[in-house]
Amino acid sequence: MKWKVLAASLALALGAVAGAQAAVTAEQVQTFTLANGMKFIVLESHGIPNANMYTFWKVGSRNEAPGITGLSHFFEHMMFNGSKNFGPKMFDRTMEAKGGSNNAYTSTDLTVYQDWFPASSLETIFTLESDRIAHLSIDPKMVASERGVVLSERSTGLENSNLRMLREEVNSVAFLAHPYSWSVIGNESDIKAWTQQDLEHYFRTYYAPNNAVAVIVGDVQADEVKKLATKYFGAIPKRALPPAVRTVEPPQKGERRVFVTKESATAPNLTIAYKIPQAGDPDYYALEVLQSVLAGGKTSRLYKALVEQQLATQVSADSLDGFDPGLLYLSAVAAAKTDPATLEKALLAEVDKLVKDGVTAEELQKVKNQKLVNLYREQETINGKAQQLGNYEVFFGDYRKMFDAPAAYEKLTPADIQAVAAKYLKKSQRTVGVLAAKED
Amino acid sequence: MTKTLPLSTTLAALAAALLAAPASALAAEFRLPEFDTVTLPNGLTVYLMERHDVPLISVRAVIKAGAVNDGKQPGLSNLTGDALLLGTKAHDKASIDQAFDYRGARLAGGAGTEGSTVQANFAKADTATLLPLFAEIVQQPSFDAAELAKLQARKVNGLKQAKEAPRNVVQTYYRAMLFGAQPYGSPASGTASSLAALQQSDVQRYYQQYYRPDNAAVIVVGDFQKSAMRQQIESLFGAWQASGAAPVAQDNGKVRADKARVLLVNKPDAIETTFLIGGAGIARNDPDYVQLQVVNTVLGGRFTSWLNDELRVNSGLTYGANSQFAPLAQTGTFAISSFTALPKTEAALALAHKTYQRLWDKGIDAATLASAKAYVKGQFPPRYETSEQLAGLLGDMYAYQVGRAQIDNFTRDVDSLTPAKAKALVDQHFPRTNLQTVLIGKAEAIRELAKQYGEVTELEISADGFH
Repeated sequence: MKWKVLAASLALALGAVAGAQAAVTAEQVQTFTLANGMKFIVLESHGIPNANMYTFWKVGSRNEAPGITGLSHFFEHMMFNGSKNFGPKMFDRTMEAKGGSNNAYTSTDLTVYQDWFPASSLETIFTLESDRIAHLSIDPKMVASERGVVLSERSTGLENSNLRMLREEVNSVAFLAHPYSWSVIGNESDIKAWTQQDLEHYFRTYYAPNNAVAVIVGDVQADEVKKLATKYFGAIPKRALPPAVRTVEPPQKGERRVFVTKESATAPNLTIAYKIPQAGDPDYYALEVLQSVLAGGKTSRLYKALVEQQLATQVSADSLDGFDPGLLYLSAVAAAKTDPATLEKALLAEVDKLVKDGVTAEELQKVKNQKLVNLYREQETINGKAQQLGNYEVFFGDYRKMFDAPAAYEKLTPADIQAVAAKYLKKSQRTVGVLAAKED
Repeated sequence: MTKTLPLSTTLAALAAALLAAPASALAAEFRLPEFDTVTLPNGLTVYLMERHDVPLISVRAVIKAGAVNDGKQPGLSNLTGDALLLGTKAHDKASIDQAFDYRGARLAGGAGTEGSTVQANFAKADTATLLPLFAEIVQQPSFDAAELAKLQARKVNGLKQAKEAPRNVVQTYYRAMLFGAQPYGSPASGTASSLAALQQSDVQRYYQQYYRPDNAAVIVVGDFQKSAMRQQIESLFGAWQASGAAPVAQDNGKVRADKARVLLVNKPDAIETTFLIGGAGIARNDPDYVQLQVVNTVLGGRFTSWLNDELRVNSGLTYGANSQFAPLAQTGTFAISSFTALPKTEAALALAHKTYQRLWDKGIDAATLASAKAYVKGQFPPRYETSEQLAGLLGDMYAYQVGRAQIDNFTRDVDSLTPAKAKALVDQHFPRTNLQTVLIGKAEAIRELAKQYGEVTELEISADGFH
């Protein structure tokens, strides 16, 4: 009874949500490309007196090979260890003294450098960034201590996250040939062994200005950004673009399985990964909806079937969306008395039901509503805006596609979602991983 | 894979809450947006702040009660905070979940050491539907027995799972060690056994005692008109009535640091050692709070801080080292924090101690202090960029009695800090002797080493509780 009252009011609210306008429009975004091919995307945003600079380099662990696994990420660290005019430690010291901070991340596909600073420090940031791009120093002493840092980063990740440990093993089984098979942080033996030549070669190959997109969002003037960008980055020479990744993962011929033992695990962890196409594929939005239907919130199917039924304490869905075909992961952490086989069976039953019966119109509308409100949340911060603009530019080939996303979701029908479920959520295309304290 | 780990979010949020103020000398002034404070006749405090950048609204109810009020039932306040979401007298859990989820809204409940919060974030267009439901959740929870039992079981499992990652629990061990049986030592999460023992009647009693309008604030920040929102809040919360005597203030305890102690938590399959070293800190309302943030920035509050520079950059012993004050309402704690590969434990602990002593041995030079001041001011505005962040700030101001004056004086306090004043603050507030240490790692490999740092108590990580 209570439910009906609410259901009636749902329909009223719906039209209002769907009809709402995004806070940022494509017309507010400005872009320019320097003569050397380095592209800049600028969005003025004057809510706080700060700005950011996110530089997206199209290099990640997919560009590596056995022997240098983890080098992209290690290189990310080396970018902070000195350049011609700013010796070791001076990048961070100079930036922090001007009120700025920074971080960086490396993924399978990208290396992204993030600076956050008072808008008035923009020129300092450009000075620092352009110096390391034009004249990086690779000091052997810094390489030695940084190896220790990265080994610690690797071990602290494995110590503190069972799902991460399991994810690495699942990837290694799901991909037989493609570089997505190794972890972004790399193999311990490679971290200890790569050479000065490896690092110098990597810099020359991948850190060409024409292999980067810089996004600047915040309390700046776009014409001033262009003037300073030209001054600081314009003289860096253009180079040949990096070679394409050649390896294409061969088709998967059947279900694969992996088991990981971790003594301190109090409950089994389960991850089931399905092969999916690369980001930017026409099925991308339907696959996003699929993940939300399965694990987005307390009314999602896996939450209701596993958490509400007390088989699991948590469920999640996410995906590896890169330049090459990736994976859609469905994960769960078991409740105390649930054995891995029971958990797996219950999770797969929900997947099968989705393939067989599809989604309801209301379920689809829920996900569309969630996507729209999440878009507002991303647009509430200068960092959310910079991250999204950059993601769409590199993975979809055009930042403007970010503004098409609400319409792309709106267009989807229940039949589209069921078709995508049937196409990708197949037994032969999955890898099942289990982590537990003891093997049966 | 990132360059650095973010600082502990809980502590960063606590620290952030006090640092609200006009900011940077380097940038245009940041101003805390205007807001109205209203007290309703039933004693409920209401804060309203308009923000029109995106069509979103953040609402939260903050109750002045938390783990310090758990008494002999650790985890009761936290369970109660979560259990508010299990349904109301008019709507069951499934319909509440559906109403919020369907609209892309977020809804969360929970409790920390001294405050309990229910919070929601939704599109402006859904206010008429979701705000009344939010009001029901706060004022008429059903604490449905079957749902409560499920939640309890899930939280017990979650507590055991949390101990799989030392990073999740090291702070809880530290607090339990510093405060022992005093209220501040009680783990907000509870322990697996204390949580499992709680009854529906305990939750109902706790709710009756502490969730009352004269012990609560409702905060709304976002895309609305204040006058209309005020009317809505009055109509939704105006009839809420307190019964019985209001909760009385209590003493929540002091840090015990009469001698150096080590709590060694054995995790037999550990590949690294996670550690905290420190002692007493300061209360949230300490007049030196803002300036101590600047001093701590030099020691362990940023990438180029002494601790990160020595333990990470110079020696490669760790991926990160930092230090933080964790303020509470009546007192607080301070800790240096890091982790290192098992064979490097001895070197990392020695270097952490040596680096810490630099505060007294060498002190802070003028250039480093100037840089830290610029950093603290420059990094300040993004902490209060979203409606959610601003609602969090107003909530902390209420729960921890942080006056606006302290916030408005932020720039002045940062700017007026001199090297001489910094030295005085170090002498006054940083614990120098009888340091308290928590080590989580493989005990058989580090047991002898632990003895160098004080009287050792050893626990199994798999054992119930935190002391």
